[in-house]
Amino acid sequence: MAINILIVDDSTVMRAMILKSLRMTGLEIGETFQAGNGQEGLEALDDNWIDVVIVDINMPVMNGEEMIDHMRENPATADIPIVVISTEGSEARLERLKEKGAAFIHKPFTPETIRDTMQTMLHIEGDD
Amino acid sequence: MTDQVKETIYRVAEDVFEKLAFLFSFREEEREPMDYGAAAVAGVTFTGQFEGRLALAVSEEVLPELAANMLGIEEETTREEQQDALKELINVVCGNLLPELAGRKKMFNVNAPLILSPEEIGVVTAAPPAAAAKLALEDGQCDLMLYLDEGVSLDPESSEAP
Ligand SMILES: [Mg+2]
Repeated sequence: MAINILIVDDSTVMRAMILKSLRMTGLEIGETFQAGNGQEGLEALDDNWIDVVIVDINMPVMNGEEMIDHMRENPATADIPIVVISTEGSEARLERLKEKGAAFIHKPFTPETIRDTMQTMLHIEGDD
Repeated sequence: MTDQVKETIYRVAEDVFEKLAFLFSFREEEREPMDYGAAAVAGVTFTGQFEGRLALAVSEEVLPELAANMLGIEEETTREEQQDALKELINVVCGNLLPELAGRKKMFNVNAPLILSPEEIGVVTAAPPAAAAKLALEDGQCDLMLYLDEGVSLDPESSEAP
């Protein structure tokens, strides 16, 4: 089954990089949606069927952590798998994200890291 | 101490440039700072364990390759894409640099990066940076300047090893 993915990052170039990496993973990607901050991300979740959310932390208007909190509070979005892709280096923040059930990928990333994280999260067997 | 900070800036910049933008860089410690008036300059402010700014200047000639590499496209990139690429580059450098300087127990907030106007470049680069790195890239040059707010000292005793 194809996976619908929402990418939330304030950098359009970074969103394109993430999308390109996703296309290299071999995962069957359905529709992809993009948002420039957490608020726009929540709106995209309201309007569309989304299977996985990929979200940055540092963003204007609403940051990634706030968006995750809103998602977890809403029964409609509480169980959607979340991958945080960020430069975040603080142990306390990373621990907090883990408690919220989000996987973490450090920026800069390789396409392999995205593939492995997505496969683990979606319980998909790798080809290699 | 400044030498240690400078070394960290070089190490983080080289790593991020290569991994994020497939740009290979070489240290140019001895050369003069770039002419910032003729360069594209991005800036980012940060708060947290300590506060300050990071500025990243690159030669105009570097921008098309930077954006094309990050986007993974062969076609010509727009000015907007080039500026967005530069902003994300400084964002990732800054986000990786601060924990390297302060340790992973400390927290920072990195604000949205900006492209600096000539006036802003003048203001930001007027004071000497706390530490700076000068790099050569295939198509030009790059300077990275770290500015810390008054009273901030990067005392190695107060930071943990990463
Ligand atoms: Mg960001």
